[in-house]
Amino acid sequence: MMYSIKLTDVSKKYRIGKSSLNLRSIFRRKNIATKFHWAVKNINFGLQAGESMGIIGPNGAGKTTILKLLSKVTFPTSGQIEMNGRFSALIELGAGFHPELSGRENVFLNGTILGMRKAEIQKRFDDIVQFAGIEKFIDTPVKRYSSGMYARLGFSVAAHVDPQILLVDEVLAVGDMAFQKKCYERMQQLIQNGTTLIFVSHNMRAIQKVCERSMVLYRGEIAFEGSSADATAEYSNILRKAAADFQDVSSEDISEGIGQQIMTHEAVIEKIEILKQNNEATNTFPSGENAIVRAKINFYKDAPAPVIACSIRHPDGQVVYDFTTEWAGIQTPDFSAFTSAIIDFPLQLNLSAGSYQLGVNLAYKDLSKYYDRIDRGLDFVVVSSSGARGFADLHAGFSVSKITENKTN
Amino acid sequence: MNHYFDLLFAWSTRIIRARYQQSILGGLWAILQPLATVLIFTLVFSFLIKVDTGNIPYIVFSYSAMVPWLFFSSAITDMVDSIVSNMNLVSKIYFPREILVFSALIARFVDFLIAFAILILLIILYRLPVNLLTWLFLPVVLICQILLALGIGLFASALNAFFRDIKHVFTLIMQLWLYATPIIYPVTLVPENLRNLYYFNPMVGIIEGYRAILLHEALPGNSFIFSIVISLLVFAGGYSFFKKVEVQFADII
Repeated sequence: MMYSIKLTDVSKKYRIGKSSLNLRSIFRRKNIATKFHWAVKNINFGLQAGESMGIIGPNGAGKTTILKLLSKVTFPTSGQIEMNGRFSALIELGAGFHPELSGRENVFLNGTILGMRKAEIQKRFDDIVQFAGIEKFIDTPVKRYSSGMYARLGFSVAAHVDPQILLVDEVLAVGDMAFQKKCYERMQQLIQNGTTLIFVSHNMRAIQKVCERSMVLYRGEIAFEGSSADATAEYSNILRKAAADFQDVSSEDISEGIGQQIMTHEAVIEKIEILKQNNEATNTFPSGENAIVRAKINFYKDAPAPVIACSIRHPDGQVVYDFTTEWAGIQTPDFSAFTSAIIDFPLQLNLSAGSYQLGVNLAYKDLSKYYDRIDRGLDFVVVSSSGARGFADLHAGFSVSKITENKTN
Repeated sequence: MNHYFDLLFAWSTRIIRARYQQSILGGLWAILQPLATVLIFTLVFSFLIKVDTGNIPYIVFSYSAMVPWLFFSSAITDMVDSIVSNMNLVSKIYFPREILVFSALIARFVDFLIAFAILILLIILYRLPVNLLTWLFLPVVLICQILLALGIGLFASALNAFFRDIKHVFTLIMQLWLYATPIIYPVTLVPENLRNLYYFNPMVGIIEGYRAILLHEALPGNSFIFSIVISLLVFAGGYSFFKKVEVQFADII
């Protein structure tokens, strides 16, 4: 059987610590930090022409590393990668764009970087520009483009290379809804024409729409592989595990992109949970349900009237909701050293369907420092049948009453 | 493989466009730079300290060497930085990495051609005898020089990805190298007993080759054969080193 993409026991190890060397460290014969981090471990999968695979996973799971390995930007430490056919990769928006040059010049430049002949680009030029929808700005230097225009032109070039294998990273998030839809349709169309697609995204709906099969990556390993619907369901379980693991993450791991903590450690948020009304732990909630955000805090020093906050973020970084005792005018009690406390935030999840990140933080009374701060303590999923979009779900109803006016005057 | 020639061309054009995009004089800088350097040296060496350059006016004598030298040194300086300064590409998209190095040289070659046109003008202006038959040998000297520059450029750009110091080391080397080559002075000024050592510098044979063809209606001398051997060795060594370590670029930068 001829594979379009085949990975056999692929592993990739990165050195962490000092990123670039200099001559001074060699002359000093200083021991260069030789700590290693396995970005991906024992990856096995194969795709035939016209098949598609979605890759989902929390930050730092190795999604981008797999794309970089496939696109030959970097090479595996061990294992084999077999690729048959011309590939095109969209790993970062306009990576091959030069800001001083016009959109037109950049289409040619980027096209040749992706391996097209000049004549081929010429032939497809109108399609590329039309697909990106930037006809009016094609002779403007791209430094004046908005990030959305950048994304559109970047995707448009990559999708018109006529790739036999197309690799797409989470780069479409900046485009508007209409363009994203167009991109997904283009990907589906390419798959139908026999292109093999690998698509990395946080957007579960998009993954399910474009890819039949998906895999969930967790800490560099394939945690699940199966239908996209099953993978999406499995993903929330994995996120839960990730949230649990996160509590004992050492400070070195923070640089790997697992979380963000700025703190004095005089008080530590030991645990963050989100519970149903009946105290049952879950991570999937119907929209509008009452939930309790619960945090366990250990105090190691006296903490007079700290400000305690709870936040909900969208995976693309937008703060959806931010609640603090300070803004709400709530007076918190003083906590003394070597005590613990359970903090509850009862709230109503009037959120539209999607995945969200829950954070809790604890700040000094004067807001000068944090005791502890976790922006992404755990991820939870909100499901809704209303199909409404946006962040908030206002649970709109609908009714009609027809007014029959008597037009006989 | 063939389609990467289009990339080589597009990338070289990009460098040239970007270099002169927001400058008023644009491509004129390609002439002004060697001309200004030569004028300064002309002031010093033909008025303050007299240097004997035979029957060739000093300005032509030094300009004929300064044009190839500036091509050589500016191409090397650009090539050294070419991998590191395009990190965003190298770490994201696959394409043969040497294209970045080659393009840096090609972009400087265009400057060289412009400056060379002025050199021809000077030769005509000063009514120097020209033997077009010896001019046919000019491409050989040029290719020899390009191979030497590419060899150094490939080696140094790869090394610069690992150790950023290399860039600064080369700025210094190129300054010293200018004075170790007969550009602003004739070889006859070098003491007899140091002459053999002096010819170990492959640029001596190359610069002497240019002068022989352009100013003396002659073919390059024996020292040029030595330069060819060194250039080929340097190119082969630099290229194989580059290919050996290029797989690590994306991980290290």
